[in-house]
Amino acid sequence: MIDTFIDALETAYNAEIEKWHTSGKRIVGYTCSFLPLEILHAADILPVRLRGIQPESLVIGDTYYGPFVCTFPKTILQLVGEGKYAFLDGAIVSTGCDAMRRLDECWRKADEDIAGILPPFFHYFDVPHKVAPHSLKWFTDEIKTVIGALERHFDVTLSNADLTRAIKAQNRIRHLIDTLNDFRASDICPLTGTDFYTAMIAGTVLPQEVYADGLTELIRQINENKDSAHTDKKRILISGSVCDDADLIRLIESCGCVVVAENLCFGIKDGDDRVAEDSEPISALARRYLAAATCPRMFGGYQDRLKLLKTKIEKFRVDGVIVQNVRFCELHSAENGLFERDLAALNVPVLRVEREYGPITETGRMKMRVDAFLEKMSRQRRVS
Amino acid sequence: MRPELKEYNLDWMLASILSIAANLGNGTEKEWRNTIRYYPYFSGIVEPILNHGSVGASFLKLLSRSLNDIINARENGKKVVLTTFCMNTAIFHAMDITPVMLEVMTAISSLLFKRGATEYMDYCVELGFPDTGCSSQRGTLGAYLAGMGVDIDLVAVNMPGICDNNANAYAFAAEYLKKPFYALNYPAELVGPEARAYHRDDFKGLIAFLEEQTGNRLDVGRLEEILDEYKRQDALLSHIEDMMRLVPNPVPGIFNLFFYVGRWLYGGFPIYTELLQEMVAAIEKNIASGRAGIYNGEEKLRAFFFYIDNFALNARMWQWFDTHGISILGSILSRYFPDNSPYLPDMEAGYTIDTTHLDAMIDTVAEMNARNPMTRTIRGPYDAPYMWLEDTLSLAGMYKADCCIYSATPGCRNTWSNVKLITKDIEKHGYPVHIVHADGFDARVESWQKTAEQLEEFFTVRNLFKTNGRLK
Repeated sequence: MIDTFIDALETAYNAEIEKWHTSGKRIVGYTCSFLPLEILHAADILPVRLRGIQPESLVIGDTYYGPFVCTFPKTILQLVGEGKYAFLDGAIVSTGCDAMRRLDECWRKADEDIAGILPPFFHYFDVPHKVAPHSLKWFTDEIKTVIGALERHFDVTLSNADLTRAIKAQNRIRHLIDTLNDFRASDICPLTGTDFYTAMIAGTVLPQEVYADGLTELIRQINENKDSAHTDKKRILISGSVCDDADLIRLIESCGCVVVAENLCFGIKDGDDRVAEDSEPISALARRYLAAATCPRMFGGYQDRLKLLKTKIEKFRVDGVIVQNVRFCELHSAENGLFERDLAALNVPVLRVEREYGPITETGRMKMRVDAFLEKMSRQRRVS
Repeated sequence: MRPELKEYNLDWMLASILSIAANLGNGTEKEWRNTIRYYPYFSGIVEPILNHGSVGASFLKLLSRSLNDIINARENGKKVVLTTFCMNTAIFHAMDITPVMLEVMTAISSLLFKRGATEYMDYCVELGFPDTGCSSQRGTLGAYLAGMGVDIDLVAVNMPGICDNNANAYAFAAEYLKKPFYALNYPAELVGPEARAYHRDDFKGLIAFLEEQTGNRLDVGRLEEILDEYKRQDALLSHIEDMMRLVPNPVPGIFNLFFYVGRWLYGGFPIYTELLQEMVAAIEKNIASGRAGIYNGEEKLRAFFFYIDNFALNARMWQWFDTHGISILGSILSRYFPDNSPYLPDMEAGYTIDTTHLDAMIDTVAEMNARNPMTRTIRGPYDAPYMWLEDTLSLAGMYKADCCIYSATPGCRNTWSNVKLITKDIEKHGYPVHIVHADGFDARVESWQKTAEQLEEFFTVRNLFKTNGRLK
């Protein structure tokens, strides 16, 4: 594994962010995969997806959020309050889900009590919940609004040429991700899900060039050394709520399987398709980021998402699917209920689990559930 | 689900019970009081309603008619749409489609049945729907997913962008029942040309969807009739709102339930206009005799619910406030922001009913829809213009509230994510705030007794009765 990726996985203020920061360049945090990163890259601003890793407690998150709320945005707020995101020059909060969109107010109000935690640039980015001509117009306008806000605040000008350059660079990354991902479709599966997911998370916090170089190097290493193949293990697909560290994947794989595919909003969804390079860039970004969305917040799109899951199951020759949701994430939980029904009808083994967000929470219970699931799959196979 | 619960459809049971309740109002007071002695749970809800005489009787008739419309919809040749309470129904009625609102039926079940709608809620979970989802949908949804209700033809909601859990429940229902689905989706901003254009385009999409799925055409004349009736209703509601500003408040607390349930079910229909007229007459009578709307006529305090009510068995919330001499000044559920309402901060905040031509009518319904309780209040940041904080402070101030109360369901991810923030802000403006941790539709989360105990504690600890100076 690439050291830069491991550092990016484990440290909020990783070496590359530190390098970027100390060189005087700007960094903007963001909360959701609906934000077109290309607009930040085009302005030479490093986009850093906000994660909730390594909080010291939840006392700050619990102070502003109410009790019946997913711990993911609470944990981000906790880190913000602890000063772990003090390096940010700005933050963009998207309307991913209700709990996450309220990070906007919780962050602003927490700043009244903990002075200085609100970055100088703070923007609320509204995202439609459906794909239609008028919602695409709305989303396009939102992108234009955030571009305008960035230009004014950071005194930059974003030309179409800048955006197209950033789009091409990001498309190159998507191509590299696809290449890496394709290794997992083969019988030999030369990399673990943990390693793959580490690379995916790294992509949400590293500069484009550093990340592209890392992916290229990782692909080269895998091509040169396929000895660590996982040919005899159960092949698992994991889907559901947000997962911003590799510990969950590591825990699953510690039970004796290999995660060969994901449908999670950190990482691989970004590799699934490209932004058109030959058309007006803002419209192209709007189309790609809204129309290609596979999040259950896009109400009424279940059949498309089921189709995507089936495609992945087939392509990656998946033996079993784990659908998981963080407590109070009803969007994924309800969808997982439907996946469970529909995949079971196709004789695809499914494990549905609810978990608390966080890297070290509920390890024993989760491991027991996964162990039992794998054991059940083995017995079913023997019987069949 | 218990087999015996599957004996009858939920909507049929509600229709049967409510038709009896509605008929009780036809008798003398002595007759209905003697009759309800034999119905221990039923009496608990009928009595507080029929205590309001002809108004209560008319409300029960309205409820009864609504359930009868639902169970007879198919025999009457109508298509049935599953929709949310926050959806203005004008467009459905103008296209001869009968709406079924999950939240309204869950509320009625919670008020009426000892166990509320909880067994249907649990059935949803059996089918894969999350137990953390909002109980207001889960209650009746369980019945419909079990096939214990009228057959649904299509699902149409307006909650994306407002409330994930609401939209999610309907999306799940559409997928589970394999029915066509349309969702109006709202941007964070309420006003401005972009928002208005978006509301219009999205609403036209809804009409096209309804036409395609039902084969029905929009009856322009019918839509005009409905909107004209809304005009009359808005004028009456605004008059009532104006009267609510008086001290003591002459409006009985439970009338708030009548306002909003009546509007959801029969906004744009004469039956609701008549109910409002009866309410106006009853309130004016209270004014004439100088008494408050609460049962014993003596107002000690005024409380504003800045979210929703608690629908525990037998309308216990309204009764508790009544017996404690506390006037309820409504909630977000009872405000719709027509252009003639006394609480309208500016014209942009409200809607104007314009029936001059079809496009104007479509714009009207789209803008009415955008101002339904939740679609207006919690769509954007709570402290943004025209949103939750601004509405709460202006309503609490205008109605001279002594305190503000938050009541919801644990499934309300949206408001639980910022209720602590808004509470702090409301307190800064001088209003003591109490947060109820119960589930408005599921007494298993917290019993009404516990909720009442904590309300009592709030009023005592915050020294409200004494500082108000009108009690003791």
